[in-house]
Amino acid sequence: MNARSFYLDLMERREALYHYLDQIDERKAPDPEAAITDLAADYAKIFLAAGISQGSAAFPFESVYTSPDRIIMQDAWETVRKRYESVGLIRNGEASGLFEDHIALELEFMAFLCEESRRDPDCSDWLIKQREFLRDHLLNWVPAFTADVKRYADTAFYKGIANITEGFLRFDREILEGINAPLDEGIENQKEVGETAFSLTTANMDQILQELKKEYRIFAPKRYEKRGAKSSTDLIRYGEIHSVREIVHEIQSDFSPKEIYYPITQTMIRFQENQSIEEPASDSRGVLIFARPCDINGIRRLDNIFLENGGHGDIYYERLRDKVRFVMMECGGGWDDCFCVSMETNKTEDYSLAVRFDQENLIVFVKDQAFEPYFSEEKSKEFMDENRKVAPENADFMPQFVTTNKKKVRLPKIQNHQQLKEVSDLEFWKEFDEQCIGCGGCSAVCGTCSCFDTVDIIYDETSSDGERRRVWSSCMLDTYTMTAGGSRFRKTPGANMRFKALHKVYDYNLRFGGDEHMCVGCGRCDKRCPKEISFFDIICRLSEELESTACNTTATEVPGNSIAAVDEPAIRADISEGLGAENPNRKVER
Amino acid sequence: MKNIMMPEPHEILSVLKETQAEYTFRVACDAETQHGQFFMLSIPKIGEAPISVSGKGPGYVEFTIRKVGRLTEGVFGLKTGDTLFMRGPYGNAFPVEQFENKNLVFITGGTGLAPVRTLINHFYDRPEICKSVHLISGFKDVDAVLFTDDIRRFKEKFHMTATLDNTTAPGFETGLVTEHIKKIPFASFDDFNVVVVGPPVMMHFAARELIANRVDESKIWVSFERKMSCAVGKCGHCKINETYVCLEGPVFNYVKAKELLD
Repeated sequence: MNARSFYLDLMERREALYHYLDQIDERKAPDPEAAITDLAADYAKIFLAAGISQGSAAFPFESVYTSPDRIIMQDAWETVRKRYESVGLIRNGEASGLFEDHIALELEFMAFLCEESRRDPDCSDWLIKQREFLRDHLLNWVPAFTADVKRYADTAFYKGIANITEGFLRFDREILEGINAPLDEGIENQKEVGETAFSLTTANMDQILQELKKEYRIFAPKRYEKRGAKSSTDLIRYGEIHSVREIVHEIQSDFSPKEIYYPITQTMIRFQENQSIEEPASDSRGVLIFARPCDINGIRRLDNIFLENGGHGDIYYERLRDKVRFVMMECGGGWDDCFCVSMETNKTEDYSLAVRFDQENLIVFVKDQAFEPYFSEEKSKEFMDENRKVAPENADFMPQFVTTNKKKVRLPKIQNHQQLKEVSDLEFWKEFDEQCIGCGGCSAVCGTCSCFDTVDIIYDETSSDGERRRVWSSCMLDTYTMTAGGSRFRKTPGANMRFKALHKVYDYNLRFGGDEHMCVGCGRCDKRCPKEISFFDIICRLSEELESTACNTTATEVPGNSIAAVDEPAIRADISEGLGAENPNRKVER
Repeated sequence: MKNIMMPEPHEILSVLKETQAEYTFRVACDAETQHGQFFMLSIPKIGEAPISVSGKGPGYVEFTIRKVGRLTEGVFGLKTGDTLFMRGPYGNAFPVEQFENKNLVFITGGTGLAPVRTLINHFYDRPEICKSVHLISGFKDVDAVLFTDDIRRFKEKFHMTATLDNTTAPGFETGLVTEHIKKIPFASFDDFNVVVVGPPVMMHFAARELIANRVDESKIWVSFERKMSCAVGKCGHCKINETYVCLEGPVFNYVKAKELLD
């Protein structure tokens, strides 16, 4: 559908309301007063649950629609308030009876953003804000709310209002995408952005997958029986799929999709008769990955390392990454160990298709035009029988995002280097000397751990012909910092844990800026750890320590320059090696 | 798009035995290198390691490699005319211009002399651009002494102290480098810089001793050795806090270096 069809849809929705208003027009209606009484009663019933025995109603607060217990003043309320505050708005006294996530205030906020967009000659920021607010808030709950209004309403008036509200928000989204598209994506999107949803049976979808497979290798979480980390358990891991039935969507996969675009082991270079030859890419097809928002957000962290860091891209990563397109799997509401909302990775726009698994059916939302032909009517005629026609039956389907998790974490706020040092010196890290066995399993399942080693293989002892491979590494391995000469810079599991934790929730953000931390809060490392170490607990603990007095000195309390320097190990050295005693295994190496 | 991981073959022009365990390889190379930079060398049958440039001249660079541990076999097999795969140069360099027309102090421990050798030679060749050069080079024992010829040359032109940790030998003093720092007449310098390169423990205590001798931290420069599998900011091994030694280092001013918590 395009903006025009949304507009026509809105006009159609308006008709019902016009019809009702016509009927109660004083000039025509026998008793306009009665109509007003009807409306008042209907209002109380719809919004205040008056006269409904089980007390259900369409409560007009975002928190009610996005929290598991359906109560007010939850996460959504906090995030909405922050959005208002970010542009200098706070709720005024007149609205004292309303919380900030009330539909009236959210709509008023959109109106404010519209006005600012009009006023500011450089409106692009305001347009982006509108688009984000619409996506993250209004459209994330209002469709469900208006559905409730329609369910509880007796009068055509409220049904009509609900219809118009919903239709208008969708129309607005289309308009905003139309305005923003040239800014964001250049010429290609000069054409109208097409976004359509389809309801499909798994058999239909399988047929589409068959078509897609001509152009794409398709990956999704799959079940590998009896291959789990613990005996008699299954392993859920990404693999190439051929049918929807193979996709494990009801539970979280043990591994992230990282191994698809950043393989566990990868030949980079072949050495042959004094020549070094770049290993060519193995498959020219695209890569289509079924992934949840947290994992799709994870790939951006890898992009930062492999494409940005150091100012040059890594060719092996880039050539695979360029081919990756995502099928965003709606997340069912989070698992026991994850905390994507805290890490702000619960939402994403980086997907081509979105899919909701609905028992035997799938609802597929086509966001990327390139995929539209696979779902077109023409295509459907080719391979589907009459009764299973691909049709935009669920044209108003919009993918929903998780907005609350069982686990919530406050991120540690390290203000300065002095605090970093205090955090680094915490006794708490030493606990891991006993607990952590340095297996690196946490890094293997992590979607954002990007470290690697290179390994040279020779084919036989008589020549130097061979290859150089890249293999995943982990900062939790005891050899991670060991130079060829044998010296190590971190020597204990506790030190490794500190290094990893601070990278995930501090260093990465400091280096790359923005709001984003390396950890996406998927919780896989906690599930994987054979010693049941919880990274979630580590972050919580860090925040607590920082807020306690132990880590609350300010920069002004740092002792004078020279004294501080004397006490501070400049290069963290193992004193036991002895003053000036050189490691016998050391070689010249920088 | 350039493949930043791709090493190129280079011919080994000569192999010089420095000590029982250390060899200097002169490799044909036209790349412009600055003092303090390093290359990723592919040691045959072993893999890549970052090795700092210990010498350079028209059409060549030199690397001094210690023949120990996992590297033994690969290095041992290399001879004149062989091919060595390498890529680089990488990393930052010592701020040479900042060192000019001032007093300059080098304190090196063992093989730490190698990465500063081209820098010392820079001032050796142009004594007029430097007020004075003091050099303290420490070695474990007489068998571990590197660049014997250079040391002889440096002694003629510079204030050079070559010292052995706890043994005696003709031409050498005894004691750790830190014990000789107090001899440097810092008070007589109007402006100076100190370059400290060696094993981590040595750099740590040398810096402490310098600060005890009222040397300002900002005058001290160090070079870090770290494990690296890429040297281009991807592999993660050399990261310390938010700093990547391969990108922002290996040369650091001490003001920054003391803040890096491995």
